[in-house]
Amino acid sequence: MSIYPRTIAVGFDGSPDAVSACAWAMATGRRLEAHLVLVHARGLLDRFDRRDPRALFGDVVSELATRHAFNEARLSWHVADGDACSVLLRCAEAPVFADLVVVGSRGRDEHAGMLIGSTSLQLAERSAIPVVIVPSTTSEYHEP
Amino acid sequence: MLITNEVPDGAGHEDPGHPERPDRLIAVREGLEDLALGDELVTVGLRSATRLELLRVHQGAYLDELGAFCYEGGGDIDEDTYATYDSWPLAQLAAGAGLAVVDELARRGDGVGFVAVRPPGHHALPDRAMGFCLLNNVAVTAAALRSAGERVLVLDWDVHHGNGTQSIFWNDPDVLYVSCHQWPLFPGSGVPSEIGGLAALDRIVNLPLPAGATGDVVARAFEEVAGPVIDEFAPTWVLVSAGFDGHRDDPMADFALSSGDFAHLATWAAGLAPAPGRLAVFLEGGYDLAALRHSVRATLSAVLGDPSANEAPTNGGPGSDQIGRTLRERASTLTLVTAQRDAEEAS
Ligand SMILES: [Zn+2]
Repeated sequence: MSIYPRTIAVGFDGSPDAVSACAWAMATGRRLEAHLVLVHARGLLDRFDRRDPRALFGDVVSELATRHAFNEARLSWHVADGDACSVLLRCAEAPVFADLVVVGSRGRDEHAGMLIGSTSLQLAERSAIPVVIVPSTTSEYHEP
Repeated sequence: MLITNEVPDGAGHEDPGHPERPDRLIAVREGLEDLALGDELVTVGLRSATRLELLRVHQGAYLDELGAFCYEGGGDIDEDTYATYDSWPLAQLAAGAGLAVVDELARRGDGVGFVAVRPPGHHALPDRAMGFCLLNNVAVTAAALRSAGERVLVLDWDVHHGNGTQSIFWNDPDVLYVSCHQWPLFPGSGVPSEIGGLAALDRIVNLPLPAGATGDVVARAFEEVAGPVIDEFAPTWVLVSAGFDGHRDDPMADFALSSGDFAHLATWAAGLAPAPGRLAVFLEGGYDLAALRHSVRATLSAVLGDPSANEAPTNGGPGSDQIGRTLRERASTLTLVTAQRDAEEAS
């Protein structure tokens, strides 16, 4: 069994940090020939407003894939009801079976320095698989 | 006799376009007025939950942070949950209302409580706001009763799993939490194998059902799976987390319940109370105003012993097969975890 991840899950809520995390995952995934699963946690209002992340963020993701030469055939979406942390924690299991999870440091509407809304920290604390937290120091990850 | 709190509309905790809005409490008040209870309605004054009462279920750092966040004007806490300048005092009143109602029930030794408050509470975790909820209202009251030596059943029929309440009482043998909810659905927790911590095995009963579930299936899940656990637990108090977002007209989820189904569930819940004055119904979700009004009326008429509803009970929906799976999954998890615990204790 390879020690390199075959399936990388990326938390994607459309926030600038999520875009950064996705760019990092695409650059890394391309080199490892890994599959990328964009994971979106559907909250109460997502459902109330009938928002579909694939329709909302599809263009952004395609553009990122082009920029990082990531083959879109190796890319899929996983949309699950729940809060971001519990949905990302379950990515190690069926149907995603990820062996690495990548998130931005702050999700949509998360506030710096607050206990409330710190998905990435809780995830790192509780995840059964390795977690990469892509910092928000740049608005988007650029390949070296 | 119905004992309720003064019902403010919670104005001040509001966000334009957000479904968890002050009009909800106006609909609830209309449902209450529809009953025309006259002298049989007793209203107790509002009071805030104290810090000590909140600390039984929430972490101090979270309370400080939420208070400061509101004081600075509030905003979005997560993608679903907001707070405003007024939210902190209003949330403390919402958390205190159950305490005031239960005090009055205990003093009289009679009547049924109805705690009509917002923001709702059952998603609020010890250290986090979530799912429209800031403070866990029902848990604050359950924890107060428990600290007075009572054994508390929390029955949750909101269409969403009450992950906050489950988390707060996960390892508490004196609180039994039972939830029937749509699954999969937000918040993603509430599977049958979540049965409680090592100190409180079998004190969590989760009854997930698929979209489209009707009243007959929900009632069977509660009665067949949770019924025996409740009998064995023998609660001295029964608190209901009554969300009405399982109504077929509610925009938030896909259960197919009617107001008549809520009347049926409420009759069952009332039968679980060991004595008069030991049952209180707490408002959780419910976002279609007409459905909310009629469901509140149906629920309260039933707990008062004279059920009446504008809609007939529903039946024939999916989920019967899930009930058997839930029973098996609970039993196998209990066997497994008990064996692990015994092995650890022996070594
Ligand atoms: Zn709900």
